[in-house]
Amino acid sequence: MKIEEALAKLEDITSRLERGELALDEAIQLFEEGLALAAATKKQLDEARLRVDQVIEAAKGTLSVEPFDVS
Amino acid sequence: MNEERVYTVSELNRVARELLETELGDVWMKGEVGDVSRAPSGHLYFTLKDAEAEIGVVRFRGRSPVLVALEPGMVVLVFGRTTVYEPRGRYQFVASLVQPVGAGLLHAAFERLKERLREEGLFDASHKRPLPRFPLRIGVVTSPSGAAFHDITSVLSRRWPLAHVLLFPASVQGETAPGELAAALDRAGRFLLDGALLDFVILGRGGGAAEDLAAFNDERVARAVYACPIPVVSAVGHDIDVSISDFVADVRAPTPSAAAELATPDCTEMANLIKRAAAHLAIAIDSRCRSAERAFHSALRRSIVREPRRLVETCAQRLDFYAGRLLGFPNAVLEPRIARFRHADDLLRLTDPRRPLHRGYSITYRVGETSPVRCAADVAPGDEIETVLAEGRIQSRVETRRTE
Repeated sequence: MKIEEALAKLEDITSRLERGELALDEAIQLFEEGLALAAATKKQLDEARLRVDQVIEAAKGTLSVEPFDVS
Repeated sequence: MNEERVYTVSELNRVARELLETELGDVWMKGEVGDVSRAPSGHLYFTLKDAEAEIGVVRFRGRSPVLVALEPGMVVLVFGRTTVYEPRGRYQFVASLVQPVGAGLLHAAFERLKERLREEGLFDASHKRPLPRFPLRIGVVTSPSGAAFHDITSVLSRRWPLAHVLLFPASVQGETAPGELAAALDRAGRFLLDGALLDFVILGRGGGAAEDLAAFNDERVARAVYACPIPVVSAVGHDIDVSISDFVADVRAPTPSAAAELATPDCTEMANLIKRAAAHLAIAIDSRCRSAERAFHSALRRSIVREPRRLVETCAQRLDFYAGRLLGFPNAVLEPRIARFRHADDLLRLTDPRRPLHRGYSITYRVGETSPVRCAADVAPGDEIETVLAEGRIQSRVETRRTE
């Protein structure tokens, strides 16, 4: 899931929980879902490594993507 | 003069110096700046060169200020005298004036182009687009070997490593630079990564002399920025440098590093945001459990037997969701509690007195009483009784009873 979608979903879950209209079972389930989402998103942030490529014109009009060594 | 005369080294250097200073006198000289070094004393040493030769130049501190920072590759005019530094026998030029060639002309052309493009609407605020909050595909148009690209990728690695950076290489100075920059910008603007346009493109280079930044004042580059289908962040030189591309771009950044900073969120802040969201979740579920608890107590006051399912909710109490204990990723704390809750829930389901009703049994009360009728002697003929079934209730009157 894209990070902005995950964040939006997390906000949505929180506001649904905060309204307090859900049955307890549903609320717990939603809570678990929210926590799993938060953990997955945080993991995604922790594990991200910048990817760097360069786009060069291989032949007239055709582009090729090659890894770029930043070190 | 005595033909047998033998000079000492000091004498020769002095004579050579006097000859150079008096015979040549003060002159103007034009050349390209090579190495530059500023001594702790404040004196400035640099070499001037052309295609065939070079000469060391010194400019002593306290003269009229040099109006531009000297950078290798700049072409300058110097005024001063040629001399010999006697202690080392080094031939050199002592400059009293240093000025960039064509500085005035360059500036006038810059202002004219800026006005023309402004009138044409290339700088209009209405044309400027915002950057996406969470960019994942970032284009960079710059030189692959320059400091700018290195600065951008190191900021992004630290700050927003979720991004995928695509470099569109182009020369950033020299005669071919404007054409290459415009072409690279055009490629970046149309480039599709997994079927989607890039989120934005950074156009820039590191600091340099005014002449080195000239490509970013070129009309072709300005028009390419304006025509670019995706937002452009202009990041040319240092804080004080202003280029035409800065005016046309959607966002202007003072330096390439700053461009990477201002165009991306900080993943450390995001991680904190997520932690706060998890804390909010914990607070919300805690308050939901408390309201269930209250509901249970009020049900208890009414009738425990008629609302046995509410018993389940006492387990909410055991969940004891205190937000503070959940802040440092809560699964370990939470999971056993949820499991306990589930287990209690199952047990209660099994012992729910209504469960047998589904198998055809029923519970009978005397109307107005809360404890069930257990034996025939509990009722008398004529009593109103109520029978609770799996679905609904029946009210009836006792006709006869057998107490056997």
